[in-house]
Amino acid sequence: MNLDTLLSYEWGHMAPEFIILAVAALLSLLDLFLPKSYNRRSLAWIALVGILVAVVSLIGLLDSKSVSILHDTFRLDSFGKAFKLILLIGAACVILLAESYEPKEGLKEYRGEFYYLFLTGLLGAMVMTSSGDLITLFVGLELLSISSYILAGMRKKNPGSNEAAMKYVINGGISTAITLFGMSYLYGLSGTTNLKEMSGAMSAQAANGQFLYLYGLAFFMVLIGLSFKLASAPFHMWAPDVYQGSPTPVTAFLSVVSKTAGFVILLRIILTLFLTMPGDDTQKLSFLETHSIYISCLAGISIIAGNVIALRQRNIKRMFAYSSIAHAGYILVAISALGYFTFDAVWFYLLAYLLMNLGAFAVIQLITDSSHSEDIADFAGLYRRSPLLAAGFAVFILSLAGIPGTAGFIGKLNIFMNALMTDPGHFVLASIMIAGTVISYFYYFGIMTQMFFRPAASTEKIKVPAGIGAVVVLALAGTILFGVAPNTALDFLHNNFGSFNDFLK
Amino acid sequence: MNSVPLSAYLVLALILFCIGLYGALTKRNAVIVLISIELMLNAVNINLVAFSKLGPAPSISGQIFSLFTITVAAAEAAVGLAILMSLYNRRKTVNVDEMDQLKH
Repeated sequence: MNLDTLLSYEWGHMAPEFIILAVAALLSLLDLFLPKSYNRRSLAWIALVGILVAVVSLIGLLDSKSVSILHDTFRLDSFGKAFKLILLIGAACVILLAESYEPKEGLKEYRGEFYYLFLTGLLGAMVMTSSGDLITLFVGLELLSISSYILAGMRKKNPGSNEAAMKYVINGGISTAITLFGMSYLYGLSGTTNLKEMSGAMSAQAANGQFLYLYGLAFFMVLIGLSFKLASAPFHMWAPDVYQGSPTPVTAFLSVVSKTAGFVILLRIILTLFLTMPGDDTQKLSFLETHSIYISCLAGISIIAGNVIALRQRNIKRMFAYSSIAHAGYILVAISALGYFTFDAVWFYLLAYLLMNLGAFAVIQLITDSSHSEDIADFAGLYRRSPLLAAGFAVFILSLAGIPGTAGFIGKLNIFMNALMTDPGHFVLASIMIAGTVISYFYYFGIMTQMFFRPAASTEKIKVPAGIGAVVVLALAGTILFGVAPNTALDFLHNNFGSFNDFLK
Repeated sequence: MNSVPLSAYLVLALILFCIGLYGALTKRNAVIVLISIELMLNAVNINLVAFSKLGPAPSISGQIFSLFTITVAAAEAAVGLAILMSLYNRRKTVNVDEMDQLKH
């Protein structure tokens, strides 16, 4: 490759990635050379400004057509833009949470790393959203995973944090290896790593039963490896421990940004490769249609297991880990019931989930930091200590439970309608979803009872730091706005991204 | 050289992968678990290189993919061992079954 081809690429389409990369590099240098006594907290604001600039540059790119550069390894299509927007907003909120984070023993000299590792993780997730090649997908996935391993173990002197990071590395490593093994078969049979060419090769080979069998094997391995990342049952065992042991901003990052990235890579691989490939010798049904039962099983088990096990948790972060497993199940319902509205439903649900979950984690971080314990009983009497905070948390919980008037309800409704509208309708999954939602009321409203009806252990007023306050207000505004007027988000989606027509082109 | 068929390489990789998976799921010592994960990743490399030379559609990108896999696996192992070191400093154990604080 000579300089002319290198310069002929439209690098402007990678501007958001370059900005995040530059800010991460800048922060790591600043962290290295600033004097030891300097308070690293201000680095968070640089990170935040970097993310906001990246958002602005992404909005500038919204009108541009679908482009692919670097030999089709990087493609900026509407799918990439829509999900990148979610990732960036989520990361900005997480950085705000991290700015206000103050564990018992302090973060000391690691505070700088804390901020730029979020950015490298975000960069990995962004690369994944717009990659058209197995190699870039894999590198993005690993950039995100390795950053998250370190982030989970950021509280070096805390045994819980160490243990969480170790469990995450081991589980993440196994899942990576399984995914890669599946990918190696995908590459080997089709002879290319480019997703588009691969899809063409696969459709041509599928008439041969032997190839079909091996592609089925690869499909299962990739699906199982990725469902570790999504924390969907029965591959969810790591999630409660890691969520509980990690610093709270990292838990928020894992539950929002990392999960979004997991769904992005799942959609990229599964839809691009297996949607057009015929699923049997008769060539009538596509591979995904004949095998969607396995995704449905994952979805159903996640919803039931997540909601039922959450009932008996006393630790608030552990409870939210199980609740996030259940939410992964809801989104998987949309993917297994593949229809015209799947992308819309997944995108909207991830947006709503981002807002309500980050808002909830902001309050959780504030309460657990001030009481140095993570028991649900710490929320007792929150209403008397800080009525506004309690009201905000109540809205987030109502949204997570899916009560009308909140974004969570609209998200669930979209998925529900999508499951019923496809032909054949997914009635079993839809009923499991409703049953799971009803079960979830018990533990969500358990927190509400604590907040509003139990006497507080201390009557001390709670002081809300600026970062946490900003996240709560933003999440609250979004949750209510998209709950009352969901069309603001859906219209934005349709006007700017159409119906993701360029996803497969 | 070319007398070894593709299927032999694939079976070797599959056996290595299964040994690695078994080790990662059953061994007590966290170092052995990390080594088992490396074994699984190396099975993938064998697959990639074998496919890129002898596969139904041979191409160079498999070898490039395996270079990326090797690099990333090294980074992952480094991070894993670093985390294990900091865990060992606090708890004086590398046994996976003693890492059971986070349950309640």
